[in-house]
Amino acid sequence: MKIGILSKRTKMLAGKLKVFFENRGDEVTIYTDKNLILNENLFQNDFFILKSKKLFYLYAAFYLEANNIPIFPNPELTFRHKNRIEAHFMIKQAGLTAPDYYFGTFETLRKNKDKLNFPLLLKPIMSSGSRGIKIIKSLEDLPKDANQLIYLEEYLNGTHYDVYFIKDEICQLEKPPLSNEHVDMNKVALSDDVKEIIIKWKNTFNIPFGHLDMVREENTEKLYVVDPGNFPEFTNWKREGDFIVKIGNIILEQYNQLKI
Amino acid sequence: MKIGFISDNYHLEKKSVEFVKYLKTKVEVSLYIEESFLLKDSLVSDFEEDLFFVKAKGELALGLIKLIEKTSIPVINSSKGIWNAIHRFLNSMLMEKAGVPVPDFSLNPIGVVPPFTDYIIKNIVDRKVYAFAPKIEKKNGQIHVKDERALNEAVGGEENYRYYFYQQFIKSKWEYKVYGIGEQLFFYKQLPLLVNPNKTESRQKIEDIQELKEIAFKAMEAVDLKIASIDFLKSKEGNYFLTDINCCPNFNYIKNGHKIVADYLIEEAKK
Repeated sequence: MKIGILSKRTKMLAGKLKVFFENRGDEVTIYTDKNLILNENLFQNDFFILKSKKLFYLYAAFYLEANNIPIFPNPELTFRHKNRIEAHFMIKQAGLTAPDYYFGTFETLRKNKDKLNFPLLLKPIMSSGSRGIKIIKSLEDLPKDANQLIYLEEYLNGTHYDVYFIKDEICQLEKPPLSNEHVDMNKVALSDDVKEIIIKWKNTFNIPFGHLDMVREENTEKLYVVDPGNFPEFTNWKREGDFIVKIGNIILEQYNQLKI
Repeated sequence: MKIGFISDNYHLEKKSVEFVKYLKTKVEVSLYIEESFLLKDSLVSDFEEDLFFVKAKGELALGLIKLIEKTSIPVINSSKGIWNAIHRFLNSMLMEKAGVPVPDFSLNPIGVVPPFTDYIIKNIVDRKVYAFAPKIEKKNGQIHVKDERALNEAVGGEENYRYYFYQQFIKSKWEYKVYGIGEQLFFYKQLPLLVNPNKTESRQKIEDIQELKEIAFKAMEAVDLKIASIDFLKSKEGNYFLTDINCCPNFNYIKNGHKIVADYLIEEAKK
């Protein structure tokens, strides 16, 4: 079959998935910013994989879905992962604990400074992962552009984890605070509460693979979910077996369900 | 009864003064202004309003609406409607799917020409408060209109999209404007902006056009808007094409528009 992959990159996980499907005899095109044209030409593919959460890939995904071209993961769910406030709602919907957030202009934050417990984390509103995150120790550290909306999140002191899951397999890794997925991380023993969180997350949203960034707050030992992702690169997957084969097979299962 | 009004400073100060004044004579009104409101996690149980009305498109307004939508309080327009309306590609797609006649459209990386010869390049996300600034090029019998906002956002600024949204250009003697407030529609026509940039100068109220009525309701349903303004152009073959849909219309152009909207909201809040 003809498969399209909507991805910012042609290498890394998208490139590996391309090889996996080509080895099966499928014809695969990776659509990046260079060749993604959003019109009916996309319909020549039988199936799409939405690897990137960038705006135009989401547009393409909604367009394909509206025209009955099977696409995985679900575009709406992918969008919800990208928007910080939506992601916060998702964490709450799953019955999990998320850090408090504050969203407003600099002037609004200044007027409400008594409600803000510094340090806080400044995060881009439309982004997941660690890109663009900055520790804010006081109002002085904030951008002062009057029109700019600022999203701040409670800063949690504690142990940071990146937890991957592929179906029932879970890989819990300890990560340096605010680092991205690609730094080297140590695998640690899976704790019961982390396992419980992953199961709740998977069951609430029917997500077969993904990851959750968590922080165990040092004073309370409470686990917070700070960042969900539904299509990580799995750079630090440290369990037996080839994760590309596992993910590739799950994607094929999803295609078979979606095409009905 | 209490109605919440979610707005930004621009819409509050420039477009809604009469509306708020009138609404306050009828019900209790609470204001949520995007530039001075702090959105935080603990708000969800605090709302006492019977209905919210939105005239804002920003990310904070959308976040607030989504929070309200977790309660049973109705919001006009919905977060989904506003999101769809500000993203041109998405609303064109939804309306085409619903059978609304829209001009051909394409979203292309810079340098890739669209599959039609006459076109207008429009801004991809219609969120900011800025005026349409068209540049017109006529070459070899083809017409290319480029909105300066779209050109700037494609190659710089915080957007730096590297893409253009193309809409097939429809040559039309008149531009038709339909305001939708619930089940009520109000019809106007004016010279197209490219002919006369002063849109109010030639604007005139016209009789209802049955064909546009059906299309307007279909479009509002497809995009999920209860209050909207919708622009149409009429091709030389006599076919109407929906070229724009706006979730924050300036209803001051309608006679007693502020009262019509306020009365509609009060009726909706009673339901």
